[in-house]
Amino acid sequence: MTRSEPTETAPWTGRPLEVRGLTKRFGDVLAVDDLSFEVSPGRVTGFLGPNGAGKTTTLRCLLGLVAPTSGTSTIGGRVYHEIPSPALVVGSALEATGFHPGRSARDHLRVLSRASGVDERRVPVVLDQVGLGGAGERSVGGYSLGMRQRLQLAAALLGDPGVLVLDEPANGLDPEGIAWLRSFLRYLAGEGRTVLVSSHVLSEVEQTVDDVVIISVGRLVRQCPLVELTDHAAHVVVRTPDPGSLRSALTAALPEAAVALTDDGALTVSDARPEQVGHVAHAAGIELHELRAASTDLEEVFLTLTRGDAP
Amino acid sequence: MSAAPDVAPVRGARQRLVAAELLKVTSTRMWLGFLVGTVLYIGVGVVAVILTPTQPGSPVPTLETAAGMRNLFAQAGGAYVFAIVLGALGMTQELRHQTLTSTFLAEPRRNRVMVAKMTAYGVVGAVYGLVGVVFGYALALALLPIKEHAEVPWTALWQIAGGAVLGCALFAVLGVAVGTLLRNQIAAILLILVWVLLVEALVVAFLPAWGKWLPGGALSGVLQSTGFGGAEYLPVWQAALVLLGYAAAFGALAALTTQRRDVT
Repeated sequence: MTRSEPTETAPWTGRPLEVRGLTKRFGDVLAVDDLSFEVSPGRVTGFLGPNGAGKTTTLRCLLGLVAPTSGTSTIGGRVYHEIPSPALVVGSALEATGFHPGRSARDHLRVLSRASGVDERRVPVVLDQVGLGGAGERSVGGYSLGMRQRLQLAAALLGDPGVLVLDEPANGLDPEGIAWLRSFLRYLAGEGRTVLVSSHVLSEVEQTVDDVVIISVGRLVRQCPLVELTDHAAHVVVRTPDPGSLRSALTAALPEAAVALTDDGALTVSDARPEQVGHVAHAAGIELHELRAASTDLEEVFLTLTRGDAP
Repeated sequence: MSAAPDVAPVRGARQRLVAAELLKVTSTRMWLGFLVGTVLYIGVGVVAVILTPTQPGSPVPTLETAAGMRNLFAQAGGAYVFAIVLGALGMTQELRHQTLTSTFLAEPRRNRVMVAKMTAYGVVGAVYGLVGVVFGYALALALLPIKEHAEVPWTALWQIAGGAVLGCALFAVLGVAVGTLLRNQIAAILLILVWVLLVEALVVAFLPAWGKWLPGGALSGVLQSTGFGGAEYLPVWQAALVLLGYAAAFGALAALTTQRRDVT
């Protein structure tokens, strides 16, 4: 949370996002359920959850497109429609946002620049920034999915905003595009901007994000730095001819560790380090055949968290 | 962290929004197709009136009467059909292509967006009206020599032209409102065409006492038309006020329903 404040000369300011007790009900469906989290400037935050978890609805509430049933969501302490010239403060690219197929990318951005009070000279700048410089005159109808994603991003960048809210920006990008997006988002956050990126696949944003906000069926599952999630994924694998005794010894000595017996007879110990496990075995005089640190695939941790059986 | 974003409010937001809406219209080719349609429609209307054989006892005022001459030039106001459909498309296209999200992100004060859209389409409707008048008048004056006809009512021509421009502008505004209220593009176009060309046309023609209060009847009023059997519509100023009333009422209703509706 302690990145340097953006410099005074920057035209934009990264502002924190705050979601407080947000609830949205569509008829019988509770899309977002008492959701609270914060997003800090200068960091890339991954907003994660399976499809249908309520990510897009949350973002649409934050951006004033959907009226919440209760709760608030603010950008730098203000709700979206109270921000004068919001495009200069928040840039966003949302799912289910389209283009008129008969309009050129350049004209699409010109319309937005007029509507939001951004200098039209920004249009060629952002087109170049997202690598669409040569395709600006073409009708969007002929664009590939990846090009449309880039155009969405260009629209978000139009006002040179300090806050970026991007809904599944990697969808439709090829591996090269994803690598480009990754470094681009890191660069933007490095400048002190607030970057919130949603995704339904953790591995997609794993190398990009500093923090994660994980939701499932409309509720917050976990908000933490990504590092904590990585630690959570770490565990110890230990093999012994006498798993029963080792298990009892470990449970007694390391009450916070969870010990499980795998199908092939090894024990896995989460929330523990190999030296702790080795020490317990040595003290109990139990013979060990294998002792190593391992890590669960982060995606698996994510799946476990969002399956609904997590706190 | 300072609480207030230190961005100066940009001046002329309303003008910018109208400019954005006008660019939306001109940056796709649809307006051109509709303009071609307008010219064809008015052309057919003018030619039909001129070629209608003069029969004794016909309920339609003939070109040998002043009323018949005004009816001929009123054909030049035919752009209203295209103006109202174009207006409806102005909103339903945003829903269909999901551009409304971008529109409301750029300007979350939705009332302003709605007012700007209606203003822009009012301007576009007026331009259509003007093009229709110029073309319709030119065609009528060029073809008139082939028929027996009363004197060209030059004074009325200016008033009819003004009525056509105003009527098309207000019909375009009505179109935006109807498109906003119905949301579905196909439903909006169908309803407008069935209403304007069939239902309302019949009521205005055969029940003028009622029809003159409908938008189409009020349009006949500002175009100084005369109905079957010499049926009179509202006087120009009253008709203009009725049209303005419809545009304002539907426009306000459309803006109101947009105010808090979820954009998903």
